[in-house]
Amino acid sequence: MALYDVIFYLFATIVLVSAGGVVFSRKMMYSAFSLLFTFFGVSGLYVLLSADFIAVTQIMVYVGGILVLIIFGVMLTTKITGVDIKSGTLGAFQMGIAGLASLAIAVFMIIMSMNTQWMQKDPLAETSTTVEAIGGLLFTEYLLAFGVAAILLLVAFIGAALIARRK
Amino acid sequence: MEYFKNIFSGISTALVGMKITFSHLFEKNVTLQYPDTYHPINSGDMPANARNRIDVDIEACIGCLACQRDCPVNCIKIETVKAVAGDEPMGKDGKTKKLWVSQFDIDFAKCCFCSLCTEACPTDAIFMTQVFEYATYDRKDLVYHFSDLSAEQVQAKKAALAKATAEKKKAEAEAKAKEEAGKNEA
Amino acid sequence: MEQNFVYDLIGENLIGYVIVAAMPLMFVLVYALVAILGELKISAWIQERLGPMRTGWKGVLQPIAEVVKLLQKEDITPANVNKPLFNVAPFIMFTGAYAAYAVIPFSSVFVPSGINIGLFYVFAVSAFAIIGIVMGGWASNNKYSLLGAMRAAAQMISYEIPIAIAILAVATLAGSLDMQEIIKQQAGGIWNWFLFGGTGSIAKVWVIPFTFALFLIYFIGSLAETNRVPFDIPEGESEIVAGYHTEYSGMKFAMFFFAEYSNMFVVSAIITILFLGGWQSPFGDFMNGPVWQSIWFISKAMFFVFVQIWLRWTLPRLRVDQLMYVTWKVMLPVAFVAFFAVAFWAMIK
Repeated sequence: MALYDVIFYLFATIVLVSAGGVVFSRKMMYSAFSLLFTFFGVSGLYVLLSADFIAVTQIMVYVGGILVLIIFGVMLTTKITGVDIKSGTLGAFQMGIAGLASLAIAVFMIIMSMNTQWMQKDPLAETSTTVEAIGGLLFTEYLLAFGVAAILLLVAFIGAALIARRK
Repeated sequence: MEYFKNIFSGISTALVGMKITFSHLFEKNVTLQYPDTYHPINSGDMPANARNRIDVDIEACIGCLACQRDCPVNCIKIETVKAVAGDEPMGKDGKTKKLWVSQFDIDFAKCCFCSLCTEACPTDAIFMTQVFEYATYDRKDLVYHFSDLSAEQVQAKKAALAKATAEKKKAEAEAKAKEEAGKNEA
Repeated sequence: MEQNFVYDLIGENLIGYVIVAAMPLMFVLVYALVAILGELKISAWIQERLGPMRTGWKGVLQPIAEVVKLLQKEDITPANVNKPLFNVAPFIMFTGAYAAYAVIPFSSVFVPSGINIGLFYVFAVSAFAIIGIVMGGWASNNKYSLLGAMRAAAQMISYEIPIAIAILAVATLAGSLDMQEIIKQQAGGIWNWFLFGGTGSIAKVWVIPFTFALFLIYFIGSLAETNRVPFDIPEGESEIVAGYHTEYSGMKFAMFFFAEYSNMFVVSAIITILFLGGWQSPFGDFMNGPVWQSIWFISKAMFFVFVQIWLRWTLPRLRVDQLMYVTWKVMLPVAFVAFFAVAFWAMIK
């Protein structure tokens, strides 16, 4: 599966490099646009995991929705306040706390990935549609979560409309 | 109800507009393809008093500089040499003229086609033609030289004038000397 | 991937993949030339002019001349733009436009990638176009570009919602997000197209107004998605010069231009697939071979490209508030009602 590996490492590189760009770039705008490539790479990895629906949802929600929102926020605040938003460095104390928190998260993630039962499957095998399975699960096993999420979104929607409404 | 009426009228008026533009799609085109199949001069569409490129009939020009003075953009440049007796340019009407027009340049890059020069000309030597296609690749080519005298001829005319004036001065000086001599004698 | 004749010929290897990936690009190149010529000629004929006449026979080589001109032009990067983003934006825009071709079935034996969530995929990759536009507009460091980019993003996000509902309605009717499956369900002539409610007994007549409304909603929304007249507010020449691509020239402008034209075909293709039976012949099985299918598909899609051009020379530009009124207060409620009607029909069918 040489081709498969090449594609995997390609997407993994895209994700790592652009995620580095998000974290290390001084300009907020560069971070926001690096995020685009991160999302793209992650959705590529999802495709390699035969999770095509998740991959497309990733692009749809994160690129089409959240990223646009972030860019809008950065763009408009920069232009209106006249301040070029840049990320600065923290003091030693804050850096220590942040480092500890990151370390804890990293350790947690590593332990979790060691203990997870990964699905072992031929990645290029024909897969049937995942849409039906996801839909079935959403409306049976995870109906409560689905309903709560829907209500949460509705509340947020109505709240946004209320805030934005002219008095 | 107003709401549905608006939607309906929005769609129907868009369709009406589309119908109109679609019918125009097949109508005869009004474009005249200059210069392939249509040319205003050949078809006689150019008005007789159209203001196009100027031409100068140098034979009729008497060197009065009226056009040069009237030109609002100073695109006409005329130089004249006084003619000496016996070697005078012949005008169109058969009478002799007093001036040789040694230089008559019009810079068409500057010309604004106002036609003031043609109206000022007493002999109708400067006039509008039908020609309007005279684009060039070099701006210098737009300076037209209308004088029919060559550089050598101009030199000769100037020399003749200088000689004539010198002779005249000499004669005058002699006459004056004579006069003074006569006065002294008296 | 039994749906692909290239793999049958060459086999499923790297060369096969590259050829399959490149085939739509060839099509897009040729199509873009045809569409540019169409734009020039149709605009001229509607205004009773002749259009380009001096390049080739009746000016048919004009698009080639224009492309050559664009490629020869100096690639200007203005001094105060944000260089990395300014240079990347056109390519992201084109990537988004071209990515959609991955799932467009040109015939029953050719679809670059027969994934079973094709519709959803096309809808998702259009997000890249928004990012490309915003990126280009912001990086240009020009007030008109920024305004255009913001208008474009606002407009595209708003119009995605009624479009999504229209797509969802057809997906409900077909019971699938796979484009080939959707097309296959519309077999058997014009009367079975989803524009006329899909297959079913004569009882389907009552659903036709709703599918027709969804068709109109999708078409209007697609005009807004591609920033075509009457929704060319992001580019409005008379207000904000050219919007997000004001500062671009040469090759990078060509990319934007190209992306816009290929987007025009994508939305026309989707409309064809959703409502007009895709590559199905309008006469049932008559003239329904693989080659005929691609001819049917391309001619149906090109008809909608023509309608887009035709509308451009018919309607004036909307105002921004009118634009938002149309999407939020007209298209969205109508789409909801039509969606419920179609879903009801799909349920009792």
